[in-house]
Amino acid sequence: MSSELEILQRALQREKAARKQAEQILEGKSRELYQLTQELKGANAKLEDGLTEKTSELQGVFGNLVDAYVLMDISGNAIKMNHSAKELFGYDINQEKLNIITLIYKEDYEYAMNSFQELIVKGSFSNYQARVYTKHKGVRTVHINASLILNKENQPIAAQGIVRDITEELKQKQIFEEQKKQLSAIVENSSLGIALTQFGKILQTNKAFQDLLGYTQDELLQREVKDISLKEGYVESENNMKKMNDGEIDNFSVNKRYLKQDGTVFWAKTNVAAVRNEDGSIKYQVALIEDITEQLEFEKQRNRLVKNLEKSNKELNDYAHIVSHDLKSPLRSMNALLTWLKEDYVDVLDDNAHNSLNMLLKKVDKMDHLISGILKYSSIDKVDHPKQSITLRDIVTDIIDVIHIPDHITIKIITELPVIEGDKFRLQQLFQNLIGNAVKYNDKEQGIITVSCEQKDEFWEFAIADNGAGISKKYHHKIFQIFQTLDNKNESTGIGLSIVKKIVDLYDGKIWLVSKEGVGTTFYFTLKSKI
Amino acid sequence: MTLTLLLIEDDEIERLKFERVLQKNNYNHTLIQAENGETALEILENNTELPDLIFLDLNMPKMNGLEFLNILKSNPVLRHIPIVILSTSNNHNDLKKSYEIGIAGYIVKPLKYEDYAHKIKCLIEYWSVNELIKR
Repeated sequence: MSSELEILQRALQREKAARKQAEQILEGKSRELYQLTQELKGANAKLEDGLTEKTSELQGVFGNLVDAYVLMDISGNAIKMNHSAKELFGYDINQEKLNIITLIYKEDYEYAMNSFQELIVKGSFSNYQARVYTKHKGVRTVHINASLILNKENQPIAAQGIVRDITEELKQKQIFEEQKKQLSAIVENSSLGIALTQFGKILQTNKAFQDLLGYTQDELLQREVKDISLKEGYVESENNMKKMNDGEIDNFSVNKRYLKQDGTVFWAKTNVAAVRNEDGSIKYQVALIEDITEQLEFEKQRNRLVKNLEKSNKELNDYAHIVSHDLKSPLRSMNALLTWLKEDYVDVLDDNAHNSLNMLLKKVDKMDHLISGILKYSSIDKVDHPKQSITLRDIVTDIIDVIHIPDHITIKIITELPVIEGDKFRLQQLFQNLIGNAVKYNDKEQGIITVSCEQKDEFWEFAIADNGAGISKKYHHKIFQIFQTLDNKNESTGIGLSIVKKIVDLYDGKIWLVSKEGVGTTFYFTLKSKI
Repeated sequence: MTLTLLLIEDDEIERLKFERVLQKNNYNHTLIQAENGETALEILENNTELPDLIFLDLNMPKMNGLEFLNILKSNPVLRHIPIVILSTSNNHNDLKKSYEIGIAGYIVKPLKYEDYAHKIKCLIEYWSVNELIKR
């Protein structure tokens, strides 16, 4: 029995010990649990703080975003809009409800709906560009990037978008495009060949340039300037290019020859201008070329003509003098021989022979006058003395003193005569011939000749009036032609008035006459007040 | 004073005219005549006695008056002889060149013989009263 007890007592002992151990374990676990709970509590509190922090951070970002930010539910009702969004659309959702769909521009509706579908399916879209109505700013064009917001069950509950107003940007772009178009229209339609080059490589050409050289744009882009230039001119261009690179010059102009696609060559005036980077180094060169082959040919021809003209003018001048000498010499001999006949045979010759000899002498005299006249006429425009101030009163007074004036004729200067710029020799000839004629052909007992002048606008109008025989109207034009004379018994040659006309023409003036037969004639002529 | 005159003139009648003026005025000056510049130079180089005065026509075939003038003026023995030009033209260039090379006078031959005779008479009388270099 005692052993049974003993066994029982031992069992109890063991049981007590095990229980104690279990109690000890439980106690340890409880303590661990407590500690864990405490730790969790701390972590939770930290997390909550973090979330609040993040939320307010985000609030700040949205508020300060330059672009508009819109949050809407799946039906398009605006839930949240930042300051920029309020500004752009003109609505304050704290004051009034706003459905974004109502803002879509009518014509862009379909596109908007398609984009929205895309958003639902893919979860986001970007680079959406369409027009919207705004409250105060009318229709604006906007650019939107959007994304979907999902709940725990992956169901879409909202959408958010960043909206940027690109109306101004588009307008600027349009203006820029327009200007670019205008500029290229000018460049393309220019008759000058234009090329943009960079270190000798051709980057861009216009139509005229392509036409001039006979290459297409693509062919030109594979070539360098030296491929289309003749070697001879390249050195000069190179030197200029170097100067341009060194910043000594900004542009230069050369006449050089170009090699065309078909192997022919043409001369072109070439203007090259530098387009520089900000640091002054060359970015591009713009070359403008103009075909001057024809122009050069014309110039050559013109120079040849001028040279020929100069030569023949000189020849003519010499010719006039040689002819006049050769014609005058025999006349001098004839005069001498006739005079000697008269002198040496004065006792032998009868009246008839004397008359004949005298008539011969007169003809010789007239011939001499003719030759002198032609010489004078041909040299009027050749003698080119420098222009000087000519006091016409002095000129006319001198003429009156020099020419032979019979006693029955008086010459009066009845107005002031101007001082004009001109050639003294020509002006002298002009007045002398007209006054001389008035004296020579005066048939009245008391001959009166007047010289006067009147200023008209840009020229002086002179009048030389006589009370002589007068000239019939039918001769008024004829008398200015060379060798035309109305009087054949006198020694008139018909050159005097043609010289007058030539001088007046030289000074861009006019000459005409008013005359009444038996009463008198007035010659009028004009000279520019500034010759 | 009796002068020795050299007339260089290609035209026969011109030479006759000059001769006649001397004759009609009863001048006893000596007149040597040359038809052209070459002949004149021969006369001047071969003759020991030089003329006091030369009358020279400008327009002559072969050597013209200006060429003759240049040769004469570059010859140290002959350059002192006064030369009077006789010409039909008063061409400004001829006049200027002649005076530049060095002439003593320039006469334009008038059309009328009487006028010519008068001019030559004046000339001869003028030179008759001048002092001249005798060689």
